[in-house]
Amino acid sequence: MFFVALITFTLAHAAPGSPFDRNANRPMTQETIDRINRYYGVDKPIPEQFVIYMGNVLKGDLGLSFTRQRPVADIIGQGIGTTFQLGIGALAFALAFSIPLGIISALKQNTIVDYLSMLVATVGTTIPGFVLAIFLIYIFGVWLHLLPFVGWGSWQHMVMPMFVLGLGAGGFLTRITRASMLEAIRQDYVRTARSKGLHERAVIVGHALKNALIPVATIIGPATAGLITGSFIIESLFNVPGMGRLYVTSILARDYPVIMGTTLLYAFLIMVANLTVDIMYGVLDPRIKVR
Amino acid sequence: MATTAVTAQDNRVAELNVISRKQRSLWGDALYRLIRNRAALVGLFVIAFAAVTAIFADLNVLGIHIRLAPYDPLEQHGKDGLMEPIWTQAFGSKFTNPAYFFGTDTLGRDNLSRLIFSSRVSLIIGFVPVAIVLAIGLTVGMLAGYVGGVVDDFLMRVTDIVYAFPDLLFVIIIVATLRGTALGEAYDGLLVIFVGIAVVNWVGVARLVRGQVLSVKNREFVEAARAIGAGPGRIMRKHVFPNILAPVIVTVAFAIPGAMLTESVLSFLGIGIRPPTPTWGVMINEGFIVFSTTPWPVLLPSFCISIVLLAFTFVGDGLRDALDPRSKM
Repeated sequence: MFFVALITFTLAHAAPGSPFDRNANRPMTQETIDRINRYYGVDKPIPEQFVIYMGNVLKGDLGLSFTRQRPVADIIGQGIGTTFQLGIGALAFALAFSIPLGIISALKQNTIVDYLSMLVATVGTTIPGFVLAIFLIYIFGVWLHLLPFVGWGSWQHMVMPMFVLGLGAGGFLTRITRASMLEAIRQDYVRTARSKGLHERAVIVGHALKNALIPVATIIGPATAGLITGSFIIESLFNVPGMGRLYVTSILARDYPVIMGTTLLYAFLIMVANLTVDIMYGVLDPRIKVR
Repeated sequence: MATTAVTAQDNRVAELNVISRKQRSLWGDALYRLIRNRAALVGLFVIAFAAVTAIFADLNVLGIHIRLAPYDPLEQHGKDGLMEPIWTQAFGSKFTNPAYFFGTDTLGRDNLSRLIFSSRVSLIIGFVPVAIVLAIGLTVGMLAGYVGGVVDDFLMRVTDIVYAFPDLLFVIIIVATLRGTALGEAYDGLLVIFVGIAVVNWVGVARLVRGQVLSVKNREFVEAARAIGAGPGRIMRKHVFPNILAPVIVTVAFAIPGAMLTESVLSFLGIGIRPPTPTWGVMINEGFIVFSTTPWPVLLPSFCISIVLLAFTFVGDGLRDALDPRSKM
């Protein structure tokens, strides 16, 4: 976390130009510039600024936004709810279609069903989200006028962003489910279950699926982090007032405190996700703890 | 009795056939499997097509001038702005002109020519940074794996830091901050994208190579080589390197579309390649303003990106199956 902060801070401040030299037609007097710099604390040497900043972060103060004249924590707090809403919706959608699809294609390996669902999964992971979003906006928004494609609020607004975000993650999850299911149904305990005369469904659900879902469950953590961080293009595209759009606009406006704040938050989310995976492994698969 | 005699004879014929079959090398075998994979083959054709288009977009070598693009991609045909592709005529569009097959954009620039020139940038972005990543990753990874010690510690620390960042966000931060510098302005912003992609991705390759080297370096054939007096340089080149190549090739095959995707995302956000240089991402970005009037300036480059990325992914999948038949995912 510390290194993430250090690198982002250095990079952000190494960039030439300042957020205040926008208006070339109306040059500010040196006095004004000095006053602004003092107000935001950017007149001090960069290492000192960094130390002050980190101290404030530990106290929960992320600083003031350069362009919006409001505390960064407030601005992020406003966007994060929307982003989580979007992320969780997308995750739910991804899980809802990827796990059944993965199971079915594993059970019917090398049939047309398998090939079709693998094709869907490959297309889902390969086609960039924003390209997919463009196609959807064109078809449902511009052409059929079925769904609004700008803004946020009603469920109609959520359908397309969630679908686009969920399809990418879902494609990946489908592949994982299929692979681990294929491995699971070839295990000895599945053969044992069959040979003692269990119903086929009981074998699949009770024995194979239970074990096959372990790798899937562990991948959900990073997948969620990926959904939340990966949403910034989708958010900008659909004009969703979330953290991702905030990030993009503040990068374009060189609003360092906001960039810093969001990056730290993203890094934190990723860290949490990775930690969850490690813990999940232990809980789901007691065999790992033994080692 | 007669049947057993026949089967015995058949068996002997079969045996002879096995012996007389031409032997293929490991790589020949992999190539054969790759070509047998239909999706990968289609992907290869698409990539070849894109490469030919990119090379012959406007080529002037040895007095031979080949030019696939009908116009200069930057030339503005003032009166012919926002023409639609000619096939939309069939659906009642009045804004078509047979001179522009795919129509024109806001400034009256020919879409087809811009698409063709864009493939150049995309392929360069696909291959150059990945080559840099491969060079750095292989060197550091092999040193870390084989020698260990300081290089290894260094690699692991750097990996921890880079892994803490979301990939794309890291590239965006690097590119966004360096954009105003001389580096950011070089070659319309191409150079800084190379740097961004390379900085973020070399770590993954280095770590993969390190892991592979670690698993190979204590195998019997390496020990045997050491026993007959081969030096570390020779062992790395002749014994370790060929044995770690397969997973590296697969990773590279997936890194290429990844790099292209990064470029298009950056350009789409407006911090990638500088306009007016056409790339698919730039075209989407510029076309988005008029999206509800005419979608074609956005839809056409979107199609191109999708198809090329899919092609690379298919080839990557095919390569993985061909090089390592056990890990079918």
